[in-house]
Parts: sequence; structure tokens; C-alpha cells
Amino acid sequence: MTLTHSGTPEDFVPTSQSELSRFLSDNATSARKQTFPVGGRTSLAVCCPDSHSGPLICTSQLNRVVDYPVRDMTITVEAGMRLDQLNEIISAEGQRLPIDVPQSNRATIGGVIATNTSGPRRFSYGTIRDYVIGISAVDGVGNLFKSGGRVVKNVAGYDLGKMLVGSLGTLSVISQVSLNLRPRPECMQLVWFDFDSCQSVDQALEAIVTSGTRPTAVEYCNSKAARQITAESRIELPNENHAVCICYEGPENVVKWQAQQIINEWRAFSSLDAQIIEGSQASQLYNALTEYQTSSDDPVTLKAVVLPSQMMSFIETATSLNIAVQAHAADGIVFGHLPDSASSLENVNQILEQLQSVIDPGTGYLTIYQCESDWAESLPLFCSPPAGWELMQQLKQALDPLQLLNSRRFTELVKS
Amino acid sequence: MVDPDNQTSHLVAPVLEQLERGSGPFSSLIQQLTQIVGKNSLLYDADELLVYECDGYIVDKSAPDIVVFPTSTEQISSIVKICNQFNVPFLARGAGTSLSGGCLPIGGGVMIVLTRMKQILEINLRDRYAIVEPGMVNLHLTNALKGTGYHYAPDPSSQGSCTIGGNIATNSGGPHTLKYGVTTNHVLGLEAVLPDGSVINLGGPTAETPGYDLHGVYVGNEGTFGICTKAIVRLTRDPEAHRTMLAVFQTISDATRAISEIIAAGIIPSALEMMDQGIIQAIEEAFHFGFPLDAGAVLLIEVDGLEIALDEEARRIVEICNAHNLREIQRADTPEERLLIWKSRKQAFGAIGRLSPSYCTQDGVVPRTRLPEILEFIEATSQKYGMRIVNVFHAGDGNVHPILLFDERDQDQIQQVMEASEEILSKCLELGGSVTGEHGIGVEKINFMSRIFNETDLSQMEKVRNIFNPRQICSRDKVLPPHGEESQSAVTLSHPGRRAPH
Ligand SMILES: Cc1cc2nc3c(=O)[nH]c(=O)nc-3n(C[C@H](O)[C@H](O)[C@H](O)COP(=O)(O)OP(=O)(O)OC[C@H]3O[C@@H](n4cnc5c(N)ncnc54)[C@H](O)[C@@H]3O)c2cc1C
Ligand SMILES: Cc1cc2nc3c(=O)[nH]c(=O)nc-3n(C[C@H](O)[C@H](O)[C@H](O)COP(=O)(O)OP(=O)(O)OC[C@H]3O[C@@H](n4cnc5c(N)ncnc54)[C@H](O)[C@@H]3O)c2cc1C
Repeated sequence: MTLTHSGTPEDFVPTSQSELSRFLSDNATSARKQTFPVGGRTSLAVCCPDSHSGPLICTSQLNRVVDYPVRDMTITVEAGMRLDQLNEIISAEGQRLPIDVPQSNRATIGGVIATNTSGPRRFSYGTIRDYVIGISAVDGVGNLFKSGGRVVKNVAGYDLGKMLVGSLGTLSVISQVSLNLRPRPECMQLVWFDFDSCQSVDQALEAIVTSGTRPTAVEYCNSKAARQITAESRIELPNENHAVCICYEGPENVVKWQAQQIINEWRAFSSLDAQIIEGSQASQLYNALTEYQTSSDDPVTLKAVVLPSQMMSFIETATSLNIAVQAHAADGIVFGHLPDSASSLENVNQILEQLQSVIDPGTGYLTIYQCESDWAESLPLFCSPPAGWELMQQLKQALDPLQLLNSRRFTELVKS
Repeated sequence: MVDPDNQTSHLVAPVLEQLERGSGPFSSLIQQLTQIVGKNSLLYDADELLVYECDGYIVDKSAPDIVVFPTSTEQISSIVKICNQFNVPFLARGAGTSLSGGCLPIGGGVMIVLTRMKQILEINLRDRYAIVEPGMVNLHLTNALKGTGYHYAPDPSSQGSCTIGGNIATNSGGPHTLKYGVTTNHVLGLEAVLPDGSVINLGGPTAETPGYDLHGVYVGNEGTFGICTKAIVRLTRDPEAHRTMLAVFQTISDATRAISEIIAAGIIPSALEMMDQGIIQAIEEAFHFGFPLDAGAVLLIEVDGLEIALDEEARRIVEICNAHNLREIQRADTPEERLLIWKSRKQAFGAIGRLSPSYCTQDGVVPRTRLPEILEFIEATSQKYGMRIVNVFHAGDGNVHPILLFDERDQDQIQQVMEASEEILSKCLELGGSVTGEHGIGVEKINFMSRIFNETDLSQMEKVRNIFNPRQICSRDKVLPPHGEESQSAVTLSHPGRRAPH
């Protein structure tokens, strides 16, 4: 066992899959300590109180490229590889993984898969589940297993990769992953619109359904969020009302045409001048939009997932509660940073109640995305139980029968 | 590996009842099922059951004892509960176009045919989803969406007959999945009747739901996780325009190298379909499209998207093809011409009927850059066995479909088909690929599973299967190699020379 610099002497840093498997297998047969897989540690305290009551399993030494057949546009890497490192390797070949990851200098591909991280581009490119073609992992009792393979199309056996995406390290420690890659587009532009009411935003978003353009991302920010995002990106843009930022990617002439086209289409909904942002400013603004969901110092960050058609009424309520709101608008995914006035658990619970009352319980979900770890104990992190909860419990039992992997995080998943 | 106290591994399926025709339990089962579905929605006459003795995989045959045609989730739940009560196996069937024997009722039992559940329950364009019943024919959904600017993207070549439920069970792909992804990328949620008769909902119409992605795990289960009774599927914007081309190459390797270069150049066509000389000749004989009979290969290439982008993309594709000895190229200038080009591809299977009484379509995958190697190997295998093999396939994904032509009345030929298939699929594995890209494991490829996956991999898959289907009463002995005496004999019975007597 290797010792870490930053962790406790108990922490374990495997250098190979078999070492990892041995460690978990020994742990299951003897000490039976709770263990906690970690990647870049960008969000360990999130949604999980008391997460350090046993050894951490750090993937930092599992960070190699296993295979990169460039022309097949697939890559197999170990789970501890950092996103920036991965992006550097594949962008040298004109390729990319079109998943937006905040703090990509630290976050690992294993962590991204475990948390199902995504950002604005999910509207057109989907999420990490759409790119994992093969996966290897070690379960709570040391079984090293794989599913899928290294080819882009494959239906041999059950798709256990899907089961691990978003499983928060509660079913197994992901050790290696094969990914499908896409070509890098030639150019990106953003168009920033300013609207004077939620209603006009809603109309514009509805018109996206039949727009002549094909946006890569459609981001909404209320004025509070827009001010923070424009400050972060150091670009002066109108931010006193409701902002919608549309992103286009592709060949330059096609991107330019679309940016103009959407301005023409949306004239009906916003009388204010739209602004086109290109070149390095486009990347700056895009990065600020990507980072915003995790970048706040505010005490609590909420995440709501609702149908796009119901999103603006939710946002209207959130805005009236002084919450800073960013949304992946065409997907109905809303992030809200609570104001400083949400200074007590009581206040937070009141806000939650008001927001919950405008969510359709049949289709929408409100979750606490980040909060102080001592509050996590008392807040309903997942405000309603997920469909199929009994099967989920059985899945956890099957892969981690001794409840040794991140088990607190799992119970938080369903505390309701 | 450790075996902690409460870990279950290698559960052996319990013995299920074999129905004896005319026996008391048989009559009683018929009576109870009739009460649920009515007498016009149930078959048990030996002659009528013949239609259901195989699906598109004709090498093995085995008839169910009873076929039912439910019309609602509630009926399915009741049917399944009764099967549990009588301890008889059951399985779902959509249109029966499976090419891996997914609908083969091993051990007999009750077949639940879903073709009467074919309604669209909701179309929601603003939120980009539709809710459909499982027996909805794939193409009927897209037809119903015509004029809305949206469609359902997964389009197996069998889309005119296969069902959405069957597509979900097999995680179907199709010509356009190179750009748009396979079925799993388009399923947001579903309702299913579990093998114990309970009804569950997984996922939902929103972009994501909390907890584990169980609907993701469900897709591709090949009918072994229970019966899908409702599907919430993602709708995709129609492309504004297409450019569809038929590129004729002198040799197969020129064509396959062009494919690799097109994608390496950063162009993801919406379709890249390859037809080899054998198939060109068959299509030509049947439909007279005007293909040159001596060409080595024809590529159907389609790019789609915004009108403004397409001429340049098409130009670059032609440039790349030219660099690989392009012989000639036909472009579709009108929607009618586009349809005609696609017709040549979609009717390829129909044309094969003229070449041979029976055919077996294989479904290997290799990394795209290894296509020339696998095609050379297929050609060598064809010569080795003196058996005609033609190829029409989704080349952009590296998913080959060698079609082995034979006469099913000749036992030797059946044996040769099996051996040749085995050699080709083994070669796919050797080249870093897989034995199935879209047809599934079913019963056909079950023996390959232990070559692709080790015991631990298989036992993890088994644990997941057992969460849904612990007694293996639903679609037994599919996907995972069975173990235990009872299961073993069930499969051996259905494989006497891989062809059951009629
Ligand atoms: C509950 C939760 C939900 C989140 N949801 C989102 C989201 O929807 N969108 C978004 O953009 N960001 C999300 N994040 C933030 C996200 O965690 C980070 O952006 C980053 O992707 C995590 O990578 P990391 O390497 O820093 O992981 P860490 O912070 O080190 O770990 C995060 C979680 O992943 C697990 N984990 C890490 N590596 C592995 C591995 N190899 N195998 C198994 N488990 C592992 C850990 O046990 C822990 O539960 C979420 C974070 C948490 C905790
Ligand atoms: C000419 C031809 C072309 C084809 N082209 C393609 C192609 O391009 N891409 C491709 O992927 N496949 C293709 N196939 C294979 C086949 O069409 C697909 O596998 C299809 O998804 C099967 O659908 P079905 O409704 O016919 O299902 P069936 O054949 O009836 O069933 C297939 C499997 O699904 C299960 N099943 C069916 N319905 C349900 C349900 N509601 N709930 C649970 N399980 C269910 C069955 O038990 C069985 O295991 C082709 C087949 C033919 C004959």
C-alpha cells in the first residue's frame, strides 16, 4: 500500500487495477472499513456529511493512457486521469470529448463519470453516458469487472457502464474507461440576448423548437447570475434583466450565419440589441458559464430538473426569492445559488418548500447540489425519492453487500 | 475473489414447468389467460403456433405453448403473475425480427406478443419527447411526426416492421446511428412489468432523474429484465437538408480507407453504408438501379444538417473519395432521387432472397480502421467453405454484416454456416472488436460470452439480471451462458445441430 502526502496514512493510492482489487478484497475479508473513492477532490464535501470516516482510495496514480487508436476516435484511459490532461492529448489530434467539466484542471474522468457531470453542451452532445463505450471497475468486495469494449457499437452483454454513470462511487471504484470521441469544431460563437421578462424568455425558448439554427447550448441567467458571470469572464454585457446566451459551433461560415439568423428570429421577443461574442472572448464567457454551477461561495446551491416548458415559472419563483439562477435552458436544468440571507437552516427549508411547491411532483426534481457539510446532515438533499428506488437498493446490495463504499452518500441519495 | 457472507453468486435458475398439452394444468392456464385477454387474443393450436417458432434467426426453432396478445400493462401484469403461479416461463415478442433468436421460447411456455399495444400516448415537441406503447412500429412513430420538424432518430433497417419495445430490448442501431447514436441514447424512461408481475417506472421525461440510471441498464437487456410496456423517447430535430451520394469504388479496400479518412477529417456523416460486389449484383438483378456490376464496392454516403453547411461537406467527401480511386459518384438532386438511393440499401435484404433459399446475417464489429482486414478475412472464409458471403453494412461504425447464403434443407451447409460465422466473429474479437453491434447475443452468440468476458464480469452481469429477474422465469437462457444442469439441458435441447425439427 502506498501512502499519500495529503491524506492520512491509511489512505490508499493504487498504481494498478489489480492492486485496487486486492485492497478492496482484503478490506472486505478482514478490516471491513468504510472506504471512499476520490478523484480530483473537487467536490468531496458536497452532498455528503462525514465523508472521511475511513481510508480514501485516491485514483491519482491511475492516470495513464491505455490505448489511443487515433483514427478510430476512441481512447482508453485510467480513471484518475485529469480532464485537462485528457483534453490536451486528444485535442492534439483534433478531437474532443464534448462534456463540460468545471475545475477541469483537477477533476478526473472517474469523478466525472461517478457524478455524471455535464454543462451547457449537453443540449446538443448529450452527457458522459453517451460517450462511455467500455468500463472497468472494482466492486465493494474486490471483484474487478468490465462491460462494453473499445468499439463504438457493441451490444454484447448488459450495459453496466450506465449503472456506474452518476452512481457517486457507491457501487464500485471505476478504474478504467473507454470513450468515444468527436472531432473538434473549427469555430465557436456566442450570442448574448437581454430580455425584459420571464415571459418573453419563455416565448423565445419555445421558438427554439422550430428555429432555423441548431444551437450547441442555450443558457439562461437571471440578472444576479448574469452579473456574476459577466464579471468572471471580464466581458461587458447587459446584465440587468434576463440573459440568454446561445452557443454555436462548427465551420466558421455556418456559425456566423446561425448567429445572425437567431438574432433575426428573436427580434420578435427581445427589442434590445443582441451581442455576438467571438474568438477568445467566446471561450472566456463559455468557461464562466461552465464553472458557474460549482463556483459559488454561497451557502447552498440547488439543482432542479424540470420539463423545459415548466422551467420559466420555476425560475420566476426562484428569482423572486433572490436566488441567483443559471439554467441549461433547453434541457430544463436549473442551478440556483441561495442568497446570503439564507443564513439558517430554517430559512433554507422555507425556500426549499416554496420552490418545491412550483415543481410538478410527477416530472420534476429538486436536489441540494452543494452545501456546507454540517448542514447536509439536516437538509433533504434529494427532495423526492427516485423511481425504482427498491431496485436501486438491491443493486447497491449486490455490488457492495457489506456497505463499504461511500455508503453515507448512498443513503443521502434517498433520504426524503 | 472473496465471497463474503451475504453475497449471492451463480444462482442456479429453478426448474420451471414444461407444459404438457391437454393436461389439467395446461387447460387451467389457458382458462385463466383467456379470462384476462379474451379468447380472440390467445393461440394454443399447434398449427397456429408455428408462426411463432422462430424469429429472424431461423437456424433454431422451438414453438411456445401459448401465445397471448395483451392490450394493456394491467393485462401483462396479470399474465405474468399467472405464469409465476403456474411456474411456466414466458417471454416478450415484438415484431419477431430479431436476428439472434431473442424470441426463441426455450423450454416453451407463454409468449407475450405486444403488437396490439401500438398507441402513441403523447407527443410533446416543446419538451422533445414522445410516450409510446411498446408494440409501436418504429417507422410509424416517425411517420406520425412528419411535418412537426421532429423525428425519432434510431432507424434500424427493419424499421418498417420492428417495434420500439424490441428496439429497446436489443438497443438497436441503424444507418443513421453513426451521427445520432443508438437506441440507448434516445430513451429517457420507461415503464416495465417485472418478471414477478409488479409494474415499475424508470427514468422519466426530464433530462435526468436522481439515483442510478436503471433505464440505461434496462436498454439492451434482450427481454431478460421483464417486459417494457411504455417508452419515453427523445425526439430529434429533422435536419434542414441532406446530401446523399453513391460512391462507386474499384475495390473494397479503397472504399474502407475512404471511410476512415472521411471521419478522420472531422466529418461525421449521418450515414456511411457499404455494399460489396455480391450485394450490388443481387440488388441490380432485383431492382435494376443501374449499378456497375463489376465495381468492388459502393458506399452510400449521407451528410445532413443546415443547408448552408452541406455543399462544402459534400465537396470534401468527394475529394477524399477521389484520393482513394473513386470510380464514379451519383448524387441525389431531388428528394425522390434520395429515396431511390436509400431504397437500394433498404431493399438489399429483400434482394438476397433471390440468391439463396436461406441466409444468415452476422453482426460483428471491428474498430473502423480494421475494416479492410475483416473484409479480406470474410472473403477468405467464403473461399475456404465454398460458400457465398455478401456484405452490406454500417461501415462508419465498423459494424459488419456478412450475409452467409445457404440452403437450410442441407444439414452440412448449416454446419458450415455455423463454423464460418464462428471464424468471422472470432476474427472480429482478435481485431479488438465485438461479436454483436446491434442484433444482440440472444441464443445465437451465447457461447461467445465467456470468450469476451471473464467469470467475474459475467457474474456481475448475472447479479444485475437477478435484480430484475431472479428466477429467470422471463426469457430464460438468453444473453448469459447458463450454468447448472437444468439450464444446460434446456439450451442443449434447442441446439441439435442448431436446427430443431419442424
Ligand atoms: C453529489 C454530486 C453531484 C454532482 N453533480 C454534478 C453535476 O450534475 N454536474 C456537474 O457539472 N458537476 C457535478 N458535481 C461536481 C463534480 O463532482 C465535479 O465537477 C467533478 O466532475 C468531480 O471529479 P473529481 O475527480 O474531482 O471527483 P471527486 O470530487 O474526487 O469525487 C466526487 C465523487 O465521485 C466519486 N469518485 C471519484 N472518482 C471515482 C472513481 N474512480 N470511481 C468511483 N467513484 C469515484 C467520489 O467517491 C465522490 O462521490 C457533482 C458532485 C457531487 C458530489
Ligand atoms: C431485415 C432486417 C434488418 C435489420 N436491421 C437492423 C438494424 O439495422 N439495426 C438493428 O439494430 N437491428 C436490425 N435488425 C434486427 C431487429 O430488427 C432488431 O433487433 C429489432 O429491434 C427487433 O425488434 P422486434 O420488435 O422485431 O423485436 P423481436 O424480434 O420481437 O424481439 C427481440 C428481442 O426483444 C425482446 N422484446 C421485444 N419486445 C419487448 C418488450 N416490449 N419488452 C421486453 N422485451 C422485448 C424479445 O424478447 C427478444 O429478446 C434487422 C432485422 C431484419 C430482419
